[in-house]
Amino acid sequence: MALPDFLSKDKLIKQGAEARVYRAEFLGKPAIVKERFPKRYRHPALDEKLTHRRTTQEVRSILRCRKAGISVPVVYFVDYTSHCIFLEEITGSLTVSDYIASIQQCKEQELLRLAEQVGQILAKMHDEDVIHGDLTTSNMLLRCSTVDIHQTDLVLIDFGLSYISALPEDKGVDLYVLEKAFLSTHPNTEVLFRKLLEGYAASSKKSPAVIKKLDEVRLRGRKRSMVG
Amino acid sequence: MHLTKVLELFPDRSVTQMLFKEVKNAAELRQSAVEGEISGALINPAMLVDPFQVLIAANKAVHLQTIGKMKTRSLYSEIIFNLSPTNKISEAFKRFGISDGDDVVMVVVVHNKDDLQHLSDITTRVDGRQIPVEDVSSLSDIEKIKKLYKITPQEEKCGSLLDAVVCRMATKDVM
Ligand SMILES: Nc1ncnc2c1ncn2[C@@H]1O[C@H](COP(=O)(O)OP(=O)(O)OP(=O)(O)O)[C@@H](O)[C@H]1O
Ligand SMILES: [Mg+2]
Repeated sequence: MALPDFLSKDKLIKQGAEARVYRAEFLGKPAIVKERFPKRYRHPALDEKLTHRRTTQEVRSILRCRKAGISVPVVYFVDYTSHCIFLEEITGSLTVSDYIASIQQCKEQELLRLAEQVGQILAKMHDEDVIHGDLTTSNMLLRCSTVDIHQTDLVLIDFGLSYISALPEDKGVDLYVLEKAFLSTHPNTEVLFRKLLEGYAASSKKSPAVIKKLDEVRLRGRKRSMVG
Repeated sequence: MHLTKVLELFPDRSVTQMLFKEVKNAAELRQSAVEGEISGALINPAMLVDPFQVLIAANKAVHLQTIGKMKTRSLYSEIIFNLSPTNKISEAFKRFGISDGDDVVMVVVVHNKDDLQHLSDITTRVDGRQIPVEDVSSLSDIEKIKKLYKITPQEEKCGSLLDAVVCRMATKDVM
């Protein structure tokens, strides 16, 4: 099999705990290959099952989002034997995390607009009952339009932990995970996150139940941290 | 005229696409393909958006052949099957294969890098006029394609028709 040759070290862009991400040309187009490798500390049969599930979940959620008009990378090819997903590379993009870290304070207006946009896309995703499962600002890409620098397009990625659920509780937890990650990655951004939730609330009719659950989960989190 | 692309994952295999117009012997070609005399996939260009769509189907077919998991009997039928959004083999042939009365044909061949004899054997069999493969986009039946792949209007807001089609093809096994 040519795969190990194809996925050479020079193409590696990220070595994570669960997956390696490569940049490569595939059938003549710029692509990202996400390879989920075996984890030695897990029982082989269980590991295979979990890895397979993550791969299929990622692929399924991507298609579900695309059908609803939510920007996510195109899937080009899936190898269920080596657990590799070949995706469209969002060229000329940067993660929302890098963007927030790079921008100056004086561009507050732009940050607020972006936060609102993130809230809107997440509301749309939740309205399709897709729970992302790993919402962080590194799992959102910002594609800068070549035509208009003020016109940016948000793209969601990394759906390996995603699942389908209509429960407000699951959606609330999804937002809670993001809130935790957001505020710890980007200090002093409470205002920004509030704007994100405003964007979310304004775009989904189902948002009141979700926000209510988010408040409950926050309270539980606080109680737990007071005890522990 | 033709378009040849090496498959990055299988560097010793290449895919060549050839497009023909004003074809007069579609019935004969189809029969030869059924009998295995022509080693190539004969595809209805009306169902193709772009040559990239064929590459996606061919790469997947070679992959499944390599691991012994093809759903159909030959590499060429597998390419046609992979183009279809459903898992019904007969439907795939009906939509993506050619019919006896057709006058346009896309021929797809998987070959070793420098096996050019194979290609010319096929071209001589086609009674028709070869045109550039890129022209396939002008032969697409967009409405039919959208209907068959069930492409929603929302989906076209976040990408091209080709994106939508390719994504369906690549993910159909787990839907
Ligand atoms: N389609 C894409 N286009 C451009 N860049 C991408 C794309 N997919 C991933 N990346 C880049 O690679 C990084 C890692 O990708 P991803 O988040 O999918 O994997 P991961 O974080 O390693 O997975 P996990 O969180 O499961 O460990 C992203 O933060 C992004 O910078
Ligand atoms: Mg990630």
